[in-house]
Amino acid sequence: MKKLINGIKNLVIGLLTTGKHLGRHAITIQYPTQKWEMPERSRGIVVLLSDKETGELNCTTCLLCEKACPSSAIKIVYEKDEKGKRHLKDFIVDHGLCCFCGLCEEACNFSAIKLATKYEFSTYTKDDLLWHTNKLQEVGRDVPYEKVERKKPEAKPAAPQPTTATPSKPIAEKQSAKTGEAISPAEPEKNPELGEGAKPQEDK
Amino acid sequence: MTASKALRTEEFLVNMGPHHPSTHGVCRFLLTMDGEVVIKAVPYIGYLHRALEKICENRTYPQCLPVLDRFEYCTSMSCEYAFCLAVEKLAGIQAPERAEYLRIIMVELNRIASHLIWFGTTALDLGAITPFLYGFREREDILDLFEMTCGQRLTYNYIRIGGVSRDIPSQFIPKAKEFIDKFPSKIDDYVKLLNENPIWVVRNRNVGILPPELALSYGVSGPVLRGSGVKFDLRKDDPYSIYDRFEFDIPTGKYGDCYDRYLVRMAEMLQSTRIVKQALEQLPEGDIKAKVSPQFKPPKGEVYSRIENSRGEMGIYIQSPGDSKKPLRVKMRGGSYNHLQVMPEIVKGGKIADLVAVMASMDIIMPEVDR
Repeated sequence: MKKLINGIKNLVIGLLTTGKHLGRHAITIQYPTQKWEMPERSRGIVVLLSDKETGELNCTTCLLCEKACPSSAIKIVYEKDEKGKRHLKDFIVDHGLCCFCGLCEEACNFSAIKLATKYEFSTYTKDDLLWHTNKLQEVGRDVPYEKVERKKPEAKPAAPQPTTATPSKPIAEKQSAKTGEAISPAEPEKNPELGEGAKPQEDK
Repeated sequence: MTASKALRTEEFLVNMGPHHPSTHGVCRFLLTMDGEVVIKAVPYIGYLHRALEKICENRTYPQCLPVLDRFEYCTSMSCEYAFCLAVEKLAGIQAPERAEYLRIIMVELNRIASHLIWFGTTALDLGAITPFLYGFREREDILDLFEMTCGQRLTYNYIRIGGVSRDIPSQFIPKAKEFIDKFPSKIDDYVKLLNENPIWVVRNRNVGILPPELALSYGVSGPVLRGSGVKFDLRKDDPYSIYDRFEFDIPTGKYGDCYDRYLVRMAEMLQSTRIVKQALEQLPEGDIKAKVSPQFKPPKGEVYSRIENSRGEMGIYIQSPGDSKKPLRVKMRGGSYNHLQVMPEIVKGGKIADLVAVMASMDIIMPEVDR
C-alpha cells in the first residue's frame, strides 16, 4: 500500500515536471527551411581568402599550413622561378581527410586560409570532397575576415621554412612537370607514418 | 523420472553486444547464463581501436592535440588538458595565470556536460526517457559556450601547450554566469524526478555493489571509487594547476551500489558549478598563451601527468627522445578501462538486467577503453 502511494506520488511529480514544458515553444528548429546561425568562430569548411581590393589570393605559398596539418589534408603544388620564388599552381584541400582542427588557420601569417562558418558541403561522391584552388577561392569570396598585419621577424626563427622546402620541393616540382597536378602525396617521408587508411581519391 | 528429465537445466552462452544499446559504444560481453542469472561475464574489447597512441608518435606535439580530442570524446577538454600538462612538465613551460583559469573553467564545464550525458543515457538504459531529453538540453547550453569560444562542439582543440588557443569572447562570462545560476535548480528537477522513483530505486539500490577493497585492487578511480566510499580525488589529493585555490567538497557514497554512484555524480555536478563560479570571479586579465613554437622539441626524458577526469584518473605518459619534434611514445590511461575490468566481478550472480544497470552506472565509454 505504501509502495502504491509512493508510486502514484512519483507519477504526479513526473507529470508536473513534464507539464512545465507543455506551454512553451519547441527548442528545435526545422532545419532545411530554418537555419542555425553559427557563431563567428565556428570551424566549418576550409576556404582560401582573397584580397578585397584586387581579388587575388592572399596565399604566398609559404607551406606553413601544409606543414601544420595533422591529417595531411592540404596539398600545395607550386613552381619555382629562377629567383627561387614560389608560385602557387594548385591548392588542394581534401575535406574527406580534414579534421577541422583549425591549425592551418593559426599557422597562416597572411590571412590566406580560414575555416569559414559554412557547413553544407555534402556530395554524392568522395572525389567531390577534393577541393581545388578555384572552388576554395569562390566559396571564400564572401567570408568576412580581418587581414592580420604580417608578423614581425621575431616569430620567424621558429618557422620551419628551411626544413619544409628541402623534402617537398623536388617531388612537387617533378610532379608538376609530369602531370601538372598532385597525384601522390608531396612528402614521401610522411605518408607511410600516417597509419590512417590510404586516400582513395589520390590513388586513382 | 520423466519429470526430472524435463527439468534438467544447463548453462548457456549469450553474446551481449557489440551493438547493444546499453554498451555505449561497441563492447561485447560473453555471458554464461543460468536462466536469467549471470554466472560469468567476459568483456571483449577492441572494436573501437584506432591506434591513437601510435598516431601520436607520428605527429608533432601541437598536432597531437586534435588526436587527443578523439581519445575520450565526452570530455575532450580534459584529454587536451592532461596532454598539455604533461608536455609543459617535460619542457618546463609555465602557462599564464589567465590561461590556467580558462582551462579550469572549460574542464569543469566539460565535466558537467559529460555527467549530463551519463545521467541521460543511464536513465534511458533503465527505462526513463525524460531525463535524457533534459540532460541533453542543459548540455546544449554548455556546448554553445564552447562553440562560441573555440568554434567546435565536440572536438575542441582549445587547450594548447602553454595556454589556450583563443581568449573567451565578451558574451561568454554573462552567459556562463547565467548557466551557473540556473543549473542548480535544474539539478533539483532531475533529483525530484529520479531520487524516489520506485522503479529507479529498485533497479539501482543494492545492485552492483563494489566494495572499496575490490575497487582499490582493480585501480578504479573517479566517481565510481568515491561511490564506494573512498575519498580520493586528484584535484584535492594531488592538486595540479591551480585547484588548490578553489573551495569544493568531494562527495562520497556509502554502500558502493549503483544508486550511490548516481548520487555522487549528481553532487559532483553541483561542486563543479561551484568551481566554475569561483573561477569566473577570480579570472585575472593578461596573456592567454606562453610562446611555444609549433616545431618545438622538448628535452630528453619521460613524464607522467594525471588529472581527475569525469571518469576517473586520466593520465598521459610521454617519452621524448630529445632531438625530435615528435614524441617517442605516448601512453594514454583512461578510467573506463579499469571500470570495465572490475565489472565481471560485480555482476556475478545478478540478473542480466542488472548488468545493464551496472554498465550504465560505471559510465564506461568505449573509445577510452580501446584508444
